[in-house]
Amino acid sequence: MSADVIMVIVVVTALAFDFTNGFHDTANVVATSISTRAAKPSTAITIAALLNFAGAFISISVAATVANDVVDAGVITPTVVFAGLIGAIAWNLITWWFGLPSSSSHALIGGVVGSAVIASGFDAVLADGVIGKVLIPAIVAPLLAFTVAGVAIGLVYRIVGRQRPGTVTRGFRYGQLVSGGLLALAHGTNDAQKTMGVITLALIANGSLGADADPPFWVIVSAATAIALGTYSGGWRIIRTTGTRIIKMDAAQGFSAQGAGAAVILSSTHFGFPLSTTHVINGGVMGAGAGKRLSAVRWGVAGNIMVAWLLTLPAAAAIGGVTYAVTEIFGSGALGPVIVSIVALAASAMLFARRSQQGAPVPAS
Amino acid sequence: MAVIVETSDLLWTIVASVVAGIGVTVVFSVAIWGAARSVDLSRSERPTAAAAAAAVGVTGLAATLGAVVVGLVVMVG
Repeated sequence: MSADVIMVIVVVTALAFDFTNGFHDTANVVATSISTRAAKPSTAITIAALLNFAGAFISISVAATVANDVVDAGVITPTVVFAGLIGAIAWNLITWWFGLPSSSSHALIGGVVGSAVIASGFDAVLADGVIGKVLIPAIVAPLLAFTVAGVAIGLVYRIVGRQRPGTVTRGFRYGQLVSGGLLALAHGTNDAQKTMGVITLALIANGSLGADADPPFWVIVSAATAIALGTYSGGWRIIRTTGTRIIKMDAAQGFSAQGAGAAVILSSTHFGFPLSTTHVINGGVMGAGAGKRLSAVRWGVAGNIMVAWLLTLPAAAAIGGVTYAVTEIFGSGALGPVIVSIVALAASAMLFARRSQQGAPVPAS
Repeated sequence: MAVIVETSDLLWTIVASVVAGIGVTVVFSVAIWGAARSVDLSRSERPTAAAAAAAVGVTGLAATLGAVVVGLVVMVG
């Protein structure tokens, strides 16, 4: 009974994390299309939500990585997964509060690693998987998106630079309907799978699934639904800010940035690398800006992203570890997770209430 | 170290990203070039050249859509 209660809490928490992931990342997916007027906000957000949903069904490679290659499912428990999720959600809320750009994906992996270390020691962490499938791709992917977008926009300007701007802009706006769609699909593919992976990890740890099992269909459907709903909800919230906070770019840059981002995320997903889609998309946008002129890039934002990237894994790991230690104070049953959930919900509600009183939150990019 | 870093998968990811990201953008640019040139040449009353440019544009568009479909098929596979 106690194990079932913990599993329900884990699944609900994971889906809540997935919802906030979609909510948080909508700006990254649709902002480029909206800022170049390739699509109306309502159209861009609806398409993004639908393609986020569809993307979740394309592959399960990333889910398999999260479930099997980050921590040893054989020695951890659903409570460890729960504590890791709380670490990720808490770090997401902290960065949201301070307007820092952060990666939900790194927060999730950091949280789970931190709680696993406190629960079972460093042996519970699969260092090869964390380094080879998380850390190295995390460094390579944004740089790759930056380079691909930068080279691509340079070639675009060489090819169409002497043509009538009106025709070229219209053409790339139509193209952005496809590139933006691909980006949304890629986002759903990589990010929804992380939630699937975490739920699968908890099910394996609980003994409900065998080791190396794939995510059950209900997990795939629920993760797809949660991220799509989050994307749709988050989209309406960011409409007010997209017009002022997005880097000014032309339609060709938008197409290059989205194309680079989609290519990197989809390729990485195929090989099971759980990326920060936020960092990849920002890398593509900066590359498309730098390809035109270096001063077009807001290098301060790039610096903030780098700082947040460095902080996210250890900070989420620390919170995940502390959360696990707190749950253990109440024993190994469901009481600890229940109390932590109540406290987390109350703290979240307080944060949202305070932020509402202070005005619109600054969305983390 | 090679096993830890998954060198082969990472290399394929880089190659696929570069080919798909730059390739699709360039091919689509060719499609737009064809369309824009075709319009200009039509206005200059050069129908044969306009038709040739339009053909380049249509080919570029078809290649773009083909590349996207192939990419998605590979992903699903």
